[in-house]
Amino acid sequence: MSVRKQKLINQPENILNEMLAGFSAAYSDIIQLTDNQLIIRTQPKQQGKVGLVIGNGSGHEPAMIGLIGEGLFDVNVAGEIFTAPGPDRIVEGIKAADRGAGVLLCVSHHAGDLMNAEMALDLCQAEGIDNVEMAVLYDDISSAPKGRETERRGTAGLFFVWKMLGAYAETSGDLAATKAIAEKIRDNTRTLAMALTSCASPITGEVMFEMPEDEMEIGMGVHGEMGMGRQKIVTADETIDLMLPPIIEDLPFVAGDEVLVMLNNSGSMTLMELFILYRRVAQRLEEIGINVYKSWIGPYATTQEMAGFALSLCRVDDQLKVLWDAPANGAYLKQL
Amino acid sequence: MSEITTEQAIGFICAISHQLTAHRDELNQLDSALGDSDHGTSISTAFEVAVKTITSIDHPTLDDVWKTTATVLLNRMGGASGALFGTFFLKGVRFTKDKKSLFKADMDEILQAGLEGVKQRGKSDVGDKTMIDALQPAVKAFITSDNLSDGWQQAALAARYGAESTTGLVAKHGRAKFIGERAIGHQDAGATTIALIIEGIRDYWEEQTNGKT
Repeated sequence: MSVRKQKLINQPENILNEMLAGFSAAYSDIIQLTDNQLIIRTQPKQQGKVGLVIGNGSGHEPAMIGLIGEGLFDVNVAGEIFTAPGPDRIVEGIKAADRGAGVLLCVSHHAGDLMNAEMALDLCQAEGIDNVEMAVLYDDISSAPKGRETERRGTAGLFFVWKMLGAYAETSGDLAATKAIAEKIRDNTRTLAMALTSCASPITGEVMFEMPEDEMEIGMGVHGEMGMGRQKIVTADETIDLMLPPIIEDLPFVAGDEVLVMLNNSGSMTLMELFILYRRVAQRLEEIGINVYKSWIGPYATTQEMAGFALSLCRVDDQLKVLWDAPANGAYLKQL
Repeated sequence: MSEITTEQAIGFICAISHQLTAHRDELNQLDSALGDSDHGTSISTAFEVAVKTITSIDHPTLDDVWKTTATVLLNRMGGASGALFGTFFLKGVRFTKDKKSLFKADMDEILQAGLEGVKQRGKSDVGDKTMIDALQPAVKAFITSDNLSDGWQQAALAARYGAESTTGLVAKHGRAKFIGERAIGHQDAGATTIALIIEGIRDYWEEQTNGKT
């Protein structure tokens, strides 16, 4: 499949600034862009509650700018395209998220994100800002085998963490408990992704990896890193039959479990395709005896115009179900 | 020449900037095989900003040169590369403090501290298919040389050899790790950058030395 290389942008070096300017102009009732380029909530969380901040590379919209708002995150530090922000900017984000009960710095596990977050924590310590904790989050089963979960990278399934952690921190003044919830959701979440096409880097205009027209790849990162397994394209049902069993075996999810399911659109899948895929997921889960509590289908963490999707499952208990159903008001995630 | 003046230290950063800008597309190309294809653009832009920032300072000191480079790499470049290359310069700052010029012994300490810092930050070592594969042999070659000229020449050779050695390796860190065996046959962009940087400094130092004799 050929890759669309042309993007309607202005100067590549202005992508981040212009994107944030447009986003904040469109959703000023929910978020604001500060002078130091942070995305913050228009309605700050109450004093005495734990602040949530995340830094990440851009180019994955609506993640994470679209998940800042009431019942979600407090501050997003958006880095350059596919590039984690530097430590000084993360420290600014931590300061902006502080409501007097400490701040949880969340890291979607990638080398750059983790290194910069660690340096930011060192800087906080040097400045005497304590009461900051870091939660390192991951979900992609294709990035490291079972038993080495801490080496896995963070991908689309972290959507479940952002939503439910956001709900928890909205009413919690306990930093340690907030971190524990983030890790609990992480430890119950598993993701596997696939791609049909590559995508072009917005900076260089170059195709990020080569992908033969009649092949697909299972196990994709959110940056279009080449995954682990290439094969000839098969049907929607066959694709789910390949992807669902390793996810189920990894946790493992078992009969009687209740789960949240997400099909994340990596860029240019059609909703038509995603619904057809979801139909098979629902069928297979029912056969196994796993109950779907709620589902979410759409673009959340994208990789430009890549055609592909991520399938994520999160096992929930009564506590997590309440958090899932709690209100949220981000530009790209709303729960009434 | 037995010492590096502040002016020459600025010359190093300018030489690095020219070198990386000249090889920008080559580095992007290497990064597209293993990463997200923008390494050349992001690191050459960062060094251009570092040069501009340093040259805008009134009477910059050696300390300014190292600190400014570190800050720009960390915060303007970001990502894993910004953290690693930035850490390299940041670790040198305590050896440039209050100095008017750097002797070879000072440079030995700066390079060694930078190397240790990068290894610690990236939790990586030789053989992991990272910049360490070029940086560690280069630092060793520099330190075991008798003078600055030999040091830069030997370091450049060792760095280039180290960068080329990454072609046969599987990656243990970063995005390249996730493609497994398919990484074999591709040279690491970070290690190549180290080779280019040290070659840039070597060429600059040769010009300076020839100009003085």
